[in-house]
Amino acid sequence: MEIMEKLQIKRIIIAFGIISLALACSKDAETVDTDYPVIDDNFTEMFPQQCGTVLRGETFVFKARFSDNVALGSFSLDVHDNFNHHSHSTEVEACDMGPVKEPKNPFKYIESFDIPGAPKAYEAEVEIAVPADIDPGDYHFMIKVTDREGWQTLRGLSVKIQ
Amino acid sequence: MGRVTDEIGTPIAEARVTMQGADAHGDSYTAVASTDTAGVFSFSGMVRGNYQVVVRKNGYIDWRTTVSLAGRTDDLTIVLKGAVRLLDEVLVVDNHVERRKQGESLNVEVVGKDFVYRNLGGSLMKTLERLPGVQTIGIGSGQSKPLIRGLGFNRVVVVDRGVKHEGQQWGSDHGLELDQFAVGEVELIKGAASFIYGSDAIGGAIDVKPEPLPAPHTRSVSVDLVGRSNNRSYGTSVRLGGRGEKWFVDARATYLRYGDYRVPADTVYVYDYAVSLHRRQLRNTAGRETDLHLTTGYLGDRFNSILYLSNTFHKAGFFANAHGLEPRRVDTELHDQSARDIQLPSQQVNHFKVISRNVLHLGEHHIEAEVGFQRNFRQEHSPYVSHGYMPSLLPDTLGIPATLEREFDKQVYSLNVKDYVEFGKHQLTFGFNGEHQHNRISGWTFLVPSFEQSTAGIFGYDRYRLNERVLLHGAVRFDHGSLRMHEYADWFPSDVPEGGQAYLVRAADLHRRFNSFVWSVGLNYEPLEHLSLKANVGKSFRMPIAKELSANGVNYHYFSYERGNPSLSAEQSYQADVSAEWQANGWHIQVSPFYNYFPNYIYLNPTAAFDHFYGAGNQVFEYAESRVMRYGGEVQVSRKLDRSFTAEVSGEYLYSQQLSGAKKGFSLPFAPPPSLLMSLSWSPERPGNPFVALDYRLVARQDRIVPPEKKTEGYGVVALRAGVDAVLMRLPVQLNIQVQNLLDTKYMDHTSFYRLIELPEMGRNIVFSLRIPVTSTQND
Repeated sequence: MEIMEKLQIKRIIIAFGIISLALACSKDAETVDTDYPVIDDNFTEMFPQQCGTVLRGETFVFKARFSDNVALGSFSLDVHDNFNHHSHSTEVEACDMGPVKEPKNPFKYIESFDIPGAPKAYEAEVEIAVPADIDPGDYHFMIKVTDREGWQTLRGLSVKIQ
Repeated sequence: MGRVTDEIGTPIAEARVTMQGADAHGDSYTAVASTDTAGVFSFSGMVRGNYQVVVRKNGYIDWRTTVSLAGRTDDLTIVLKGAVRLLDEVLVVDNHVERRKQGESLNVEVVGKDFVYRNLGGSLMKTLERLPGVQTIGIGSGQSKPLIRGLGFNRVVVVDRGVKHEGQQWGSDHGLELDQFAVGEVELIKGAASFIYGSDAIGGAIDVKPEPLPAPHTRSVSVDLVGRSNNRSYGTSVRLGGRGEKWFVDARATYLRYGDYRVPADTVYVYDYAVSLHRRQLRNTAGRETDLHLTTGYLGDRFNSILYLSNTFHKAGFFANAHGLEPRRVDTELHDQSARDIQLPSQQVNHFKVISRNVLHLGEHHIEAEVGFQRNFRQEHSPYVSHGYMPSLLPDTLGIPATLEREFDKQVYSLNVKDYVEFGKHQLTFGFNGEHQHNRISGWTFLVPSFEQSTAGIFGYDRYRLNERVLLHGAVRFDHGSLRMHEYADWFPSDVPEGGQAYLVRAADLHRRFNSFVWSVGLNYEPLEHLSLKANVGKSFRMPIAKELSANGVNYHYFSYERGNPSLSAEQSYQADVSAEWQANGWHIQVSPFYNYFPNYIYLNPTAAFDHFYGAGNQVFEYAESRVMRYGGEVQVSRKLDRSFTAEVSGEYLYSQQLSGAKKGFSLPFAPPPSLLMSLSWSPERPGNPFVALDYRLVARQDRIVPPEKKTEGYGVVALRAGVDAVLMRLPVQLNIQVQNLLDTKYMDHTSFYRLIELPEMGRNIVFSLRIPVTSTQND
């Protein structure tokens, strides 16, 4: 009798375990996009580059190549001063920095752009006018790009405005 | 052979029975045994003679007698009296683990002070992480937030001394303001517990019980010392207490200090940016904690009243090379001078509490009431950094200190009333919970507005004993809540779409009301001896929090522009839990799967868009609702290999999937990967209760991620734990030593706050703790 009971208990536990395992393993086959978009490092026409220079009173053209395994979403550009050397550079290479100073009329540029048609690759070109009367010195140039799923890649470049 | 029970006849498990005597040659002889879950103990092979028998169990007065062994002795029934007359004699005094688990159809784990000492982590939640189904979101070495089966933040309720603990719950960089030395017992409920705890208990509840009160006519002192090698932490906690017949007073002070913690790496990469670490220390992760407690009260026969006063203060640095996800250049010379100083960026939080707990026995009724006030005051400091349209320099006309990035001031008033009554085969509980919150903000960044929040709920819960083997549960609860948000406008002008510049209104005045009706039904069934089954189905709910409704600001810690959704409805969840436990012949097997469905899970959805007006060019993260399905469970198997050795394996698995919305097919954020904990322990039945245990935790890789997470590799970590009760300089001491991450393995924890910037977890850490309890009985 006792043996029977034990067998029964074991059976219940085994059945329970199998059901749980079956539940646990019945993974959905549906796959989702888990890849980040890419800001192409090898794009030779990329401008500006880390430690690069742009001039006051002139218009320069931002150029970069973005790609994604499924579909790109949008991108955003942000230029702000780094006179206090706060640095959120993501780059390995360090640049020569000017002395720490107080901003008087720093250049500030924030824009965002849709990437039309949700392509897998896109070359961005944006004209940016730098006024003549802004403070020269160390600036940050932040590039952020998303794909359609909301994955974001960002790069923070250090540039000089002269 | 004998049996140990409490005063009302409930068996007491894990009581320690010592027999001490002398044999015919005059040699002293000692034997020790523990009672099983039926309260039964036995000795064999004892020599004839006179023995002194002592029965010990935490929370009970020692029982002593002398027996004379001559041949086979009769069974002995030993009745232990509670050493502590706690709040309610029926529900707490005999609240030992087995009884608690068997009386509950939800999945409950109860751990006591010994568990906390043997597994002492950097914070209470880190200590509890050893339990299957519990994970933490850690930041640094001293703080972490609980996750129960993958749900955390406002989906887990933490109750401290009967009152819901209210911190600034939305930030993953915030810890939980509790002193782990002042913990008596922790009860962990996995699953939908809204019907008892109200809004937020969707994922479960962590009920932190106070320490047992001093026994009548005693004075006691206890001193704890703790040291950790990794972050060169040291600390002490001292308790002083005394009790006459009915009045008592009890005080505790805790002080802890820790330095920067070390990781098994010389260089870490924040994005691609290489940060070299001085002596493998994470710059500026040092901290300190000071906690004070005073408890006093009156313990009468029909009426008890206890007043708890406590204040915890915690200050800690954030990793200096990144504030959140944002890489920062730092003055390495300044930071590397000392591993103990707390520089910017840093956080500090002070949590003050006063709670009055009252119990009244009136005939068949047992009425319990708690009145509480708590204030959580939190500041985050950082050098001013201009982001977006913020001016490059902070104007001093604002009246905000230059380093005050954020400040949250929360004041909470609580009232709980409960009435237990037994009526035939029914055990009924009726109750009311009310709470009012007053929240104010300051600092030069904005995330959530100031707000007021009021909630009130009533519930009824019936436990019906159908027969010896079946216990049925049924509960209903109704809640009403109101949230009132205040308008907030930027202190600096921004470009606006219409052209020109304006002071943006981030949050508008908003008033929302929520009603909710939840229920729960459950069953405990013991079909066979040693086997117990539990099942529970219930609905839970959660009111959206201020951040989910009204956030409208840039969180530079995440490069995200977080936008609330003022039209969100209260989150609802349906959960089914089953659990089977079998315990016999040295085996203990427990399997507890669950299934959970949310018609509207609220979560922060990273979109493909940027916003260059309100969001200063950052990615838009929007609060959204989606249907979510989750299932998983825990398996625990332990086997007593012989009198001293026990092997244990426990595993946890969780799967979650969004069934609708923008992230259809994705999992939920902070999904813990499957893990397995294998443990071998040696605890011979000898005086001093020595033990040695080796733990190996194997964690699978996590590929199921959702933006902005990263896939995390699997890992294995080894820990060694040992402890003994000894006598040092004629004082009784409890010694515990742990070596966490014994092999100094470099790994990343998927649910860590610092995971996104790829910081490895803490390296090898030797934790040493020593406890000296002294009790003196006075005769008056």
